[in-house]
Amino acid sequence: MIQINNISKCFGNLNAVDDVSLIIPDGQMVGIIGSSGAGKSTLLRLINRLWDPTQGQIFYKGKEITQFKGRELLRWRTKAAMIFQQFNLVKRLNVFTNVLMGRLGYHKTLPSLFMMFTKEERALAIEKLDRVEITDQALKRCDQLSGGQQQRVAIARAMMQNPEIILADEPIASLDPRSAAKVMETLRDINRKEGITVIASLHHLASARMYCERIIGMANGKIVFDGKPSELTKEEVLKIYRVEDAEEELEHDIENVEMLKHQKQGRKVAVPG
Amino acid sequence: MKSNTRFSIEKMAALESKHPLLFGSTFQSRFRRTLVIVLMILFTLFTFVWLDFNPLRIFLGIGKFFHMLSLFFPPNHGGWFNEYLVGLGETLAMAFLGTLLGFLFALPLSFIAAKNVNKNKGSRLLMRRFFDFIRGINTLIWALMFVHVVGLGPFAGIMAIFVSDLATLGKLFSEAIENVDINQIEGTKSTGANGIQIIRFAYIPQVLPIMLSNALYFFESNVRSASILGVLGAGGIGLQLWDRIRVNNWKEVCFIIIMLLVTIAIIDVLSKKLRDMIMANQEYRP
Ligand SMILES: Nc1ncnc2c1ncn2[C@@H]1O[C@H](COP(=O)(O)OP(=O)(O)OP(=O)(O)O)[C@@H](O)[C@H]1O
Ligand SMILES: [Mg+2]
Repeated sequence: MIQINNISKCFGNLNAVDDVSLIIPDGQMVGIIGSSGAGKSTLLRLINRLWDPTQGQIFYKGKEITQFKGRELLRWRTKAAMIFQQFNLVKRLNVFTNVLMGRLGYHKTLPSLFMMFTKEERALAIEKLDRVEITDQALKRCDQLSGGQQQRVAIARAMMQNPEIILADEPIASLDPRSAAKVMETLRDINRKEGITVIASLHHLASARMYCERIIGMANGKIVFDGKPSELTKEEVLKIYRVEDAEEELEHDIENVEMLKHQKQGRKVAVPG
Repeated sequence: MKSNTRFSIEKMAALESKHPLLFGSTFQSRFRRTLVIVLMILFTLFTFVWLDFNPLRIFLGIGKFFHMLSLFFPPNHGGWFNEYLVGLGETLAMAFLGTLLGFLFALPLSFIAAKNVNKNKGSRLLMRRFFDFIRGINTLIWALMFVHVVGLGPFAGIMAIFVSDLATLGKLFSEAIENVDINQIEGTKSTGANGIQIIRFAYIPQVLPIMLSNALYFFESNVRSASILGVLGAGGIGLQLWDRIRVNNWKEVCFIIIMLLVTIAIIDVLSKKLRDMIMANQEYRP
């Protein structure tokens, strides 16, 4: 269980995250929505401890992770793996090395500097690459891959960390719809099979509705909605995005969800077994 | 005057007074620009007069120049060809070792001077001042000092190149480090990698190609400087050159200069090829 108590992050006199409290049980798949600048990325970075909060605490399994320092902090980052909108892979390194880098937190410094990864780690990396179906690209440099492929490599790297939590900051915002669906399906699959908690900030409302069991809406650094996708009514959405007149877009969005649902059902019928 | 604009006069005037900067230059800005240009021309003329730069003197000296050229030809090695080759080899080795040492020391030190890596302001500024201080002293002066300290010979030349390259490369490297793509750093940091691992896996792949290509470029120019260093007592081909100049043996001087030109041309071509290869292709295998 992740417990966030009154956490704030200020940049100058701007409260990017403003007194947020939140409890996320283990194994939940959570979507964070909100307009640009609402504080979604900041919140995720605070949980991974890439950034330090100005105020407040975060607890995980009873331990205050906002107090972690040194080795313990690095361990925590390994445990709470992150995925980014821009993938954040090291572009000039090949896919396989990037995936192996997920093990850096488990390594002594000196051997890792010479890329002395064990056979077992390599086997593990292949397994993760197989899972995201990108093993055939393993020796390609990352900047030669498409966005969707890079994001799958990033998921494989995150899985190498053997994480208990995956924090995904707009994992599909730079992807075409098909790659986006693949990435979201992989994340849901990881969440269901491994029981890993997934917290994803998402721009695309329909994806949040479709893949997440819980949706958190943020505006101006505060949480303004927290509930099931079904509870996310038109009024709530307008509140989160602070718009008066998004009717058309919203209708379109809702239609989208219906369509996706139908498609899924259709596929289930079509494929026997 | 026929108006071919969609804007009324009032509207135009209103826009102009609202956004004066978007309607071309004003009288003030034109005046300022003219003043700057006039001042620059005056300053240039002043330096010409002050340093007695007179194109006429070149014309008057042109006869002497041709006379000197006639002394150069035909070039002749005077039976010292093997000695020249050894000298040239020495010069190349001096440039190579000096650059290599400079590169090896600049690599770690540049991280200390980079703002995004070293958050400790004191040590960072100290490292920068150190680079600036060394760079403030010309390689030739360093060579003179080292000749005094370690005696005549290539070792002094190596040290001179090493020290001055260390500073210049260090500064260039730290700038490359400060320009890395922050996303790649953040991604690596988020895995729980420690500081040294982040440098190894996120910084080095981004900056090493730039660093290597810079170092190669420096090697090229160091071959040129190394031949001058020889004149100051640092051995190599420069020493032979200086000996010939002192006794006015211009045909042999010419021969040595041609040898140097050919060598430098070959190195330039090779180094360009290598640098292109480095920048284009860095497959890493774990
Ligand atoms: N490093 C920073 N320095 C200063 N201000 C920042 C920094 N990072 C974020 N902010 C500010 O904090 C606020 C929240 O930013 P954040 O990136 O968390 O929003 P977001 O919800 O992720 O938005 P988006 O959907 O555009 O990604 C914004 O107003 C942003 O300008
Ligand atoms: Mg964001």
